[in-house]
Amino acid sequence: MNTTGSGSIFSVVVDFDTSHLFFPTIILWLLGLLGLAILIQRGPAFYRAVASGERKLRFFEPEADKVRLFGTLGLMVIYFIGMDYVGRLFPNMGYGFWFVSIPFLFALSCLYAHGIDKRKLTYISLNALIAPTFAWFVLSELFNVTLP
Amino acid sequence: MEFLALVDISYLLLIFLGVALGIVFGAIPGLTATMALAVCLPLTYSFDLNHSLAFLLALYVGGISGGLVPAILLNLPGTPSSICTTFDGYPMTRNGEGERALKVGILSSLFGGLFSLIVLYLFAPVLSDIAIKFSYIEKFLIIFFALTVIASLCQNMLVGIFSGVLGILLSLVGVYDTIKGGNGAVRLITPGMEEMLYSGFALLPVLIGMFGVGAIFAEAELGIKEETEGAKFDLLSGKKFDLSAFKGSSVNLVRSSAIGTFVGMLPGVGGSAASVLAYTQEKNFSRDSSKMGKGAAQGVIASEASNNGLTGGALIPLLSLGIPGDATTAILIGAFTLQGVQVGPLFIAENIDTWNMMVLSMFLANVVMFVTMFFAIKHIAKVVTVPKYLLYPIIIMMCVSGAYAINYGIMFDVWTLLIFGLLGYVGTKLGLEVTPLIIGFILGSSAEIYFVKSIESFGNLTVFFTKSPIAMFLWLLIGVSVVFSIYSTKRAKCREQVAV
Amino acid sequence: MTILKRTLSLAVGAAIMVASGVALASDAPVKGNIRVVLGVNSTGGDTYQNASIIANRLAEKIDANIRVDAIGAVNAFRTLQRQGKSGNTIMFIHDQAYLGRLYEVPGYIDIFEETIVGPTISINPGNAYLVPKSSPYATVDDIIEAVGKGERVRLATERGGASHLGYSALKNAIKLKYPGKEEGLVLLNTGSQADKNQALFDGQADVIHGSIQGNEQFTRLPADDQKAMRFVWITASGETIQQMPPEGMGETTRDHMMAWVDPETEVYANEKDLFTYDKMFYFLYHKDMDPKIVKYFDDAIAEVFAEGEIQKEFQRSFFIPSFRKSDEARTFLEDKKDAYANILAGLEK
Repeated sequence: MNTTGSGSIFSVVVDFDTSHLFFPTIILWLLGLLGLAILIQRGPAFYRAVASGERKLRFFEPEADKVRLFGTLGLMVIYFIGMDYVGRLFPNMGYGFWFVSIPFLFALSCLYAHGIDKRKLTYISLNALIAPTFAWFVLSELFNVTLP
Repeated sequence: MEFLALVDISYLLLIFLGVALGIVFGAIPGLTATMALAVCLPLTYSFDLNHSLAFLLALYVGGISGGLVPAILLNLPGTPSSICTTFDGYPMTRNGEGERALKVGILSSLFGGLFSLIVLYLFAPVLSDIAIKFSYIEKFLIIFFALTVIASLCQNMLVGIFSGVLGILLSLVGVYDTIKGGNGAVRLITPGMEEMLYSGFALLPVLIGMFGVGAIFAEAELGIKEETEGAKFDLLSGKKFDLSAFKGSSVNLVRSSAIGTFVGMLPGVGGSAASVLAYTQEKNFSRDSSKMGKGAAQGVIASEASNNGLTGGALIPLLSLGIPGDATTAILIGAFTLQGVQVGPLFIAENIDTWNMMVLSMFLANVVMFVTMFFAIKHIAKVVTVPKYLLYPIIIMMCVSGAYAINYGIMFDVWTLLIFGLLGYVGTKLGLEVTPLIIGFILGSSAEIYFVKSIESFGNLTVFFTKSPIAMFLWLLIGVSVVFSIYSTKRAKCREQVAV
Repeated sequence: MTILKRTLSLAVGAAIMVASGVALASDAPVKGNIRVVLGVNSTGGDTYQNASIIANRLAEKIDANIRVDAIGAVNAFRTLQRQGKSGNTIMFIHDQAYLGRLYEVPGYIDIFEETIVGPTISINPGNAYLVPKSSPYATVDDIIEAVGKGERVRLATERGGASHLGYSALKNAIKLKYPGKEEGLVLLNTGSQADKNQALFDGQADVIHGSIQGNEQFTRLPADDQKAMRFVWITASGETIQQMPPEGMGETTRDHMMAWVDPETEVYANEKDLFTYDKMFYFLYHKDMDPKIVKYFDDAIAEVFAEGEIQKEFQRSFFIPSFRKSDEARTFLEDKKDAYANILAGLEK
């Protein structure tokens, strides 16, 4: 990519072999400039507000439920790794999705429910069993969709 | 009318089945209209051409329409083209007008669908001649036009544009695909990630990650509180549905349907651009847009009329040039080739019965879609009353299956879901604006290809202004749109200050 | 067919799918579902169509559940290398597999080193080049002459694919006949067929790559239509075209087509041989897949072809059946690749 002197200042030549970098370069520059502009526009006021204690630098909500938040994250990571792993034990059967979704649904529901009683636990267990089985059957068996 | 002899009971049954199945696919977050067609294509091997097309077109209409359900009820676009439906649809649900929003959406969908069908039937060959006047440059300008939408959708202009540009950047990650005219090289990938990021981030997992998973993270932080009985969404506590929702919206309906049809007929521009364009045009040009984004029926009307307008529009280049207008009609091509029928400029003339049957199928599919959804809505809407501890895990599971299936089985697409869920959650906290980011992401890769190809072909920048009258006209539209959005933002700010 | 019958057949079909997924035939060396990953992303193209024809027949023959997934070449190579060892995941692609490597497109592996080449299945003879109807070039030979006289001709193709090969071959032929003049043939990198057609409509390209199936209707438009096109070159050999049904495609009969193939056209690959290209479809397997499975698939597919029904199915869809067992297929494709490599060796890419 280079701007040639020939013709007008508007003429631009794109070399096909490096054309994959042409647009991303422009966008990166644009992003940098915009970031700088935001910093100039809002930086000083933001700094003053923080320095004077008017505004607290706080990522989480005051009463953040970190157990549920990080529990969700952790369970999802385990879920994805687990289904990929189990899925490879039974190539192309979709069992990774089916077998791992059941404990995932159960665990996540238990994490989310407040005041678990017998009735809720029954709902959770039934849901964890039925939903993945139904989804697996319809998608993988009926519609022949590839699942992990 | 000889083709009517081809109508039989199984034909009608297939339309009904197709619409119903399409709605289910569209309504389940993670599954899309495109996927519905892809998985059902092999089922049609045993049908003849008319039956298989009836089934697939019904799936298409149903799938595009079904997307409005989770968009309105859960703030989660069921298909990429219903993203703008969330802007007003979900606030309406929060205001207790969920059922009204759904009915407004369905009626607008019907209008958009029928509008585009009429256009398709009457003007397909003429319009395809207009469509081929749009070369790289004009298509870039359309994309650019849609991108200017960001200016009118963001809370803070600078941050909004920053978010949009970030979205564009994220869409460029990975290979510069040769099928789009690129050179097959990869970029924006850190060493060691080449294998995973080769194809970049796929749109569907990005979308449902940011909207769905991101929102679940945010709620998890707040503890997933169940609404107490009294505060639970009451779907009917707000305004009831009647046709007054459409009062003053006839221009909006026609304009949005026309935008949808028009964008649909330009191959490569992409369906999601249609609803984005229609939504902003309503925002910029309607008499009173102050409530848009807070639960105004007109926003739902614009989005839904335009995305169903796509259905007819996308068939125009397919049937008159042999070129699909979007990802979903690309699968329809498969149905034709599997049956040994050529689509191209002579298709309509040589297959007049098939053509008439297709139009009839689309018409019936739209009607069936409307009737099914309008009367099933009461039951569909109950999904929001399912306790969150059961609903959210199911949503995540369905998003996972959809993300995995969208590119026929790529595990990285599932991880994309989590990555963008986190980005949505963390980004919102840092002040990033999710909607402009998504719009940038949706339009980014087409913007690149048309921009770079224009310059490659012409070697200078002035051509963007001088190429054709269409280009100049598009610049005029872009200019007007930008001025209006700045003006209306200012006006809204003044009003707020007066109110305070 | 009545509704009842149709519903029944759907239901039975579903039941069979379930049953075959669950029942693991004990003597087969491959157990469970089989997944065919395609080297293309589209479900509307010829690769998907050929893959589904053979996959359906093979599934019936070995009583397995086979699904076809269009995941694209680079993803397919990776999936094959990671998951293909058991024989449950196999790949289906065309000449693109080694052409991508010859053109050094990132992500393409050397199929002769890093995979087992499976049987060849069929040919799509439709690879073609077109000009606007108003163009002065009647056949590809005119283009060679024109460039030889110093004219500039722009050809729209996709990087690293069959269309790119045609460009290289043409350039090579010009170089053989008019050394030094070949620079007059200019490559225009477009992508999909839509983009190539559009380049022609816009006047950006003088010649585009296309296919008999995809572009035949454009050739029948009246000359004053902006979209009207004309074939100038079909790259398949005359011999291959002779195997097609005489009706040809649309209104372009086999006899018409013979005007745009060798020996009518003279695109030389070297001093004595003409260049031809037929798009061949074949399977690829994981490098370490059990040879028993290779033989198992070879035998099953051989039986399918021996029954004679699949040939008709290919021909109905304008394809030419072309079965070779794995060993033979490997030699055949390697020779084909070497011939093209020779052409490219003499050219700057």
